[in-house]
Amino acid sequence: MSAQINPDDALYVDMFIAKNAQTMNFIRSSYSAVLGLAAGTLGLTNLSGFIFYLLGSTFLSVLIFALKTKGQAGLYFRKSLDVFTEGVSGGLFSYILFWTLLYGIIHVYD
Amino acid sequence: MSRQAMLLDPAIRDWVLIPIMIVMVLVGVVRHQVTVLLNGTPKKADLKSARETKALQRCGLLRAHGVHIPEQAFHGRKAFLSEAFEKGTYLKEPNAGNKPRGNVMQDPAYVETMMDGMKKNMMNIIPQTVIMGWINFFFSGFVLVRLPFPLTVRFKGMLQRGVETHDMDVSWVSSLSWYFLNLFGLQSVFTLILGSGHAADAMRDMQAMSTMGMGNAAGPNLSATGQPQDMHKIFLAEKENLDLTEHEWGLENVETRLLVKYGKKPASVLLDQKKDKIARLAGRQGSGASSPAAVAAPSAAAAAASRKKGRRQV
Repeated sequence: MSAQINPDDALYVDMFIAKNAQTMNFIRSSYSAVLGLAAGTLGLTNLSGFIFYLLGSTFLSVLIFALKTKGQAGLYFRKSLDVFTEGVSGGLFSYILFWTLLYGIIHVYD
Repeated sequence: MSRQAMLLDPAIRDWVLIPIMIVMVLVGVVRHQVTVLLNGTPKKADLKSARETKALQRCGLLRAHGVHIPEQAFHGRKAFLSEAFEKGTYLKEPNAGNKPRGNVMQDPAYVETMMDGMKKNMMNIIPQTVIMGWINFFFSGFVLVRLPFPLTVRFKGMLQRGVETHDMDVSWVSSLSWYFLNLFGLQSVFTLILGSGHAADAMRDMQAMSTMGMGNAAGPNLSATGQPQDMHKIFLAEKENLDLTEHEWGLENVETRLLVKYGKKPASVLLDQKKDKIARLAGRQGSGASSPAAVAAPSAAAAAASRKKGRRQV
C-alpha cells in the first residue's frame, strides 16, 4: 500500500512493462549464450572477450531500438535507456560460462 | 603475467567437464517439472478476502486516476469509500476488531501457506545439495578448465575450491567452481528450453534461502515478517491517504494546453494561468502568500496529462 502515487506511473500498464522486461531478458540471455559460444570459438582472451560482449550487446540493443521499438523506446519502457541496460548484467554470467566452456574445449584441451 | 602451461587429460573433458554441465541442465529441467506438479492449480481466494483486497485496490485506483472523473463523482466515491473503510464494511470479520488475535499457528490457512513455502524451498535446496555432494565425492580436487581472462588472487578461494595449490594461476577452475559457474550461467539454457518464467532459476534459490516461506497473494494477508496483518488498520491508513487526495480535474484548461503542445501559444501562458489560479485560491482563502506545495501539485498533474500517450507491447 504505497502512500504516494506518482502520476507518471498511471501512464504505463505494469503488466505490459513486466512482459516487455521479460521479453528483453529472454532475448538477452539467449543472445549472450550464443555470443559466448562465438567468443570461445574465436579464442578471445582477457579484455578482448569483454569488449566483444559489450559490442555485441550494444549491437543487439541498437537492433531492438531501431527495428522493434521503431525508435520510440519510451512507449514500451519506463525509460528509453532501459532498452540498452535491461538484462545486460544478467546475461554476463551466461556469456562467461559458454565462453569458458568453448575456450576450454577448443584451446585448453588439445 | 605469464600463462602457465598445463596439460589436461582429454578424458577429464569427456567424463567430468561436460557431464557436470549436462547433469545440471537435466536436474534443472526435472526440478521445473516437479515444481509445476507440486504447485498444481493456484488456490482460489474466498469471497471475503478477495473483497478485502479489491476494496484497497479500488481506493488506490481512485487516488491515482481520480483526475479523470468529474469532481462530483470523485467526491461521491471518496465519501463512500471513507465511510466503508471507517466502519470496516469490507473486512473479512467485521466484528473481530478488538478481539485479541489467537496463536497464528492455529490458523489453518496460515499453516498451509507456510507448508507450501517450505515445500518449494525444499525443492530448491535438495537438488543443489545432492549435486554438490556428487561433485565433491567423485571429482574433488580436479582442475577442469581455464578461464579465458585473468583474475586477481582474491578469487583463488572461489575458483579453486578443493584444490589447495598456492602457485597455480588463479584462472584455472576446479570442479566445484565449475559447478558454481554452471549454477549461475545456465540461466539462459533454461530460458531457452523451458521458456521464460521457469522454476529452475538459481537466482531465485538465493532469494528463497533468504526469505523462507513467503505467503502468496491468494493466502491470508501476511506482512513481510510472515505475521497476519490487521486489515482494519490498513483500511484506516488507506482512508487517511484518500482524505489527503485532492481532486484536480484533468481536463481543466485543456484547450490552452493543447495549443501550447502544438506550439501555437508560448508555454509561459500555462504558467501565467497557474499563477492566476493560485492567486485566486489564495484570495478566496484569505491568506496572502501561496504555499510551495500548492505550486508543485498542479504542475505535476499538468505535466502528466500533457504526456498522455498509449502504451503498447513490443
